[in-house]
Amino acid sequence: MNEQYMQILTTLKQDREDLMASFDKFPVIDFMRRHSRILDTYFQQRFEESMVGPRLGLNKNPYAIVALGGYGREEQCVHSDVDILFLFKKHVPDEAASLIQEIIYPLWDIGLEVGYATRTLHECVNMARKDYEILTPILDARFICGMSLLFSQLMTAAREKILDKHSKKIVDWLVKSNTERHRRFGDSTYLLEPNLKEGQGGLRDYHTMLWIGRIKLNMRQARDLEYFGFLSHDEYLAVREALSFIWGVRNQLHLETGRKVDQLYFETQIKLASSMKFKSTNGLQPVEKFLGTLHSKMDFMKQQHLMFLNEHGFVKKSRYTLKHKNNRKIENIEIFDDTLKFTTSEAIIRSPELLIKIFEESARHKLPLSVEAKRMVNEFSYLVNDRFRSSDSVVKSFEFVLKEPAPTFNVLREMLNTGFLVKLIPEMRGIANRIQYDEYHLYPVDKHLLRTVQAVKKFGSDLDESGCMLCAKIWKRLKNRKLLLWAALLHDIGKGVPQKDHAKAGAKITRNILSRFGYDPEEIDTIAFLVQEHLLLVKIATRRDIHDEETAIHCARVIKKVSRLQMLYLLTIVDCISTGPNAWNEWTATLLRDLFLKISNILKKGELATQRAVKTSAHKKEVVLASATSKAEAAELEKLFHSMSPRYLLYMPDDEILKDIELFRKLGDRSFAWDIARDEKTNSRTVRICAQDQPGLFSKIAGTFTLNNLDILNAQIFTWRNNLALDIFHVKPPPDQIFEKERWASTEKDFQAALAGDMDLPNALAKKMSGYQSIRPKASKLQHRIVVDNHSSSFFTIVEVFTYDFPGLLFTVTDALFRSGLDIWVAKISTKVDQVVDVFYVRDFDGQKIDSEDQAVALKAAIEARLPEIV
Amino acid sequence: MKKIEAIIKPFKLDDVKEALNEIGIQGMTISEVKGYGRQKGHKEIYRGAEYVVDFIPKIKIEIVVASEQADLVVEKICDAANTGKIGDGKIFIFPVEEAIRVRTGEKGTDAI
Repeated sequence: MNEQYMQILTTLKQDREDLMASFDKFPVIDFMRRHSRILDTYFQQRFEESMVGPRLGLNKNPYAIVALGGYGREEQCVHSDVDILFLFKKHVPDEAASLIQEIIYPLWDIGLEVGYATRTLHECVNMARKDYEILTPILDARFICGMSLLFSQLMTAAREKILDKHSKKIVDWLVKSNTERHRRFGDSTYLLEPNLKEGQGGLRDYHTMLWIGRIKLNMRQARDLEYFGFLSHDEYLAVREALSFIWGVRNQLHLETGRKVDQLYFETQIKLASSMKFKSTNGLQPVEKFLGTLHSKMDFMKQQHLMFLNEHGFVKKSRYTLKHKNNRKIENIEIFDDTLKFTTSEAIIRSPELLIKIFEESARHKLPLSVEAKRMVNEFSYLVNDRFRSSDSVVKSFEFVLKEPAPTFNVLREMLNTGFLVKLIPEMRGIANRIQYDEYHLYPVDKHLLRTVQAVKKFGSDLDESGCMLCAKIWKRLKNRKLLLWAALLHDIGKGVPQKDHAKAGAKITRNILSRFGYDPEEIDTIAFLVQEHLLLVKIATRRDIHDEETAIHCARVIKKVSRLQMLYLLTIVDCISTGPNAWNEWTATLLRDLFLKISNILKKGELATQRAVKTSAHKKEVVLASATSKAEAAELEKLFHSMSPRYLLYMPDDEILKDIELFRKLGDRSFAWDIARDEKTNSRTVRICAQDQPGLFSKIAGTFTLNNLDILNAQIFTWRNNLALDIFHVKPPPDQIFEKERWASTEKDFQAALAGDMDLPNALAKKMSGYQSIRPKASKLQHRIVVDNHSSSFFTIVEVFTYDFPGLLFTVTDALFRSGLDIWVAKISTKVDQVVDVFYVRDFDGQKIDSEDQAVALKAAIEARLPEIV
Repeated sequence: MKKIEAIIKPFKLDDVKEALNEIGIQGMTISEVKGYGRQKGHKEIYRGAEYVVDFIPKIKIEIVVASEQADLVVEKICDAANTGKIGDGKIFIFPVEEAIRVRTGEKGTDAI
């Protein structure tokens, strides 16, 4: 390479380096133009100094160097491809190869990505006609040097032979490949790692607008979008600003990664935010502000692009055409060309409610607002004030939009994009384009909220994303859907409040919003509740043992009503779905559904989760705590409360809880401790027993009593969560009351032996029983009845035994349960005259329900076999 | 080296992670899995319809450690994941032939 060549190359290198170093000094548009010019200079000088050039016979076969694509538009980013066309008049000469070697190779050597083509005029036109991928760069073609006439000929030929003849086909192809591209690269306005060029809202959207303008109207420059009336002056400026920002990010990204890259990867984002001088404010990290701004700019470009295609008829018209014909007419709003328009702007000033009516009509007819109507909504949204917000008909219109099932047509998004939604609900300003910087939250908060509302509307439709039939079922029967939809719209509104529990803050904001709209207190309560607890179910399902009854009871007590639970469940699911693919999958769905069904069951049963149950239990705790004489004792009691099951706390009177605690302290390492109290009035004894739980404990106690002629009147057993059994028996005193003390002493001895396994209780009892006669019902001829209930509780199988009293009954039944491999967790034994109802909450030794049909039948048979025949 | 594979209850993940952090285990692979063992699935009834959970959601943890560390890791997992109830899970231990760090090509315990 000769010296002059070297000089040109060195100059190029130096100029580029200087330019890169002063990147901050120019507006980015300027920067890209300067970059293009530096390259232009290189090509021009090389063209003049070319050694191969003269040999090409310029006179006979002239050629031109043409810039294509981004370089052609003078939008040359730092490391973007430099696309060059060597355009020959008649044929590509053999020397072209050495020409390329001379001009292009050195560029590669200094690290530029250069793409080139050597073609004749004829080839160019032919290829571009067949392959539109080749045509689009030519749309941006710019003459650099060489034979300028050749360049004009190319442009003329392209216009006459391709663009004028096939404009519709080309535009259709552009629109189609754009849709395809968006599908591949995703919607950049949402993505965590947006693609600045190819994603929806990316630079390619702007290129497409430009290309369509060129094809259809022969536009030459970007500004023509304004001059030809595609954009208003303000919109053009806003487009320029949005593009500048995106270009700024792209160039900065190239500078920092040192290579051509258009996807904004996670690891680059924090650095970029700092080099673009974002500062942290209001609880937002710089990177969150940076991404928020980027998303809003890309969102703006996306909207402009969609509006451009819509407005100018480049996409197929909606299939709802003519559907509106038979519908009612709203004054001052008309349907024209399948879009909604205001008849005049004065009408809006006279009646501002038109601003929301047009959205209502849009939802009703599934027709979009015209571009002009959107502009007017935006311009006149200053008319929205508190009086507007509290008007009944405004609230009704908004509810209509909120409720109208429109899975594919999102009116709320239009309301957000025009800025109207933020005017209507000013609290939404704090979450507009708010980014949460993690891999979990895929969407800015405002978009997430709208997606959540959309997901609610999809329940039970073909587009339902929950994959859960149960959801559709609940949704179908849900009475006041409005409440759920409001909660979906507002559940994350608290995220605008920095560094606070967003659910709690959100509930407060929700109350303000809804009372301004004039909702009644009960509805406000429900919606605010849903907002406040929208994370409850998912947190519990993943972080607590949902196979523990206490978990479900805890939730049931927070939720209180079945209808609230249903809404909360649906809200949880749509929240997950709308957060992103990491938040919703089959696995989470299974956990959530299981938890939902368990809580639902408890709420429907009522007993454990009512307001009163909560109050009673709390009150008892207080009374018990009040008995503590020291801090240490209070702490010990608090610990014990955790062991007491909700059922125990609910049903045991406070003085008896104190007695049980006393017994528990007495127990120590012994296998059991008991307390026998006399009740003179009824002449009965109450025996409280506290023992380490073991399978068959209950039947052993019952058996020992029977063996000692202590007739059991009724009994209750509870199991504490620390594996302690608390059993209370009411028994008739021994027949011989003079030696009662001795009788109890022998009972205690027998019980100890039975617990230790030193006594064959069944055998001893059988011997004793052989002397008894079979039972005789006094009143009727009813049979024994045994019910195995698996529906009432998610955690226990409930066995109910209806029979007639006979000595040893309780032992017989509980021994049968024990031998069937079941543990008794709760029991209620009551006797009325000779009628007995025994209820047992049982699980197998592994802690599982007996829920197969076979097992239930076998269990019934096992008990039945032990009951004496009725004669 | 040993690979330790533990199936645990989902809500025990944080406890297990913490316990392993305490003994200096830095890395692990976790996956959301479903299955059943002695704790079989169960049914729930909602408005007359049966909803069956055949496969119960669990978390699978996989860790590769030096052989001499394996016992301690197992012990820690057992302690942390224990609720005393059915379904607490299982731990399997496999011998590992080799480990390679892709970036550097380091091998053996250096790579884990």
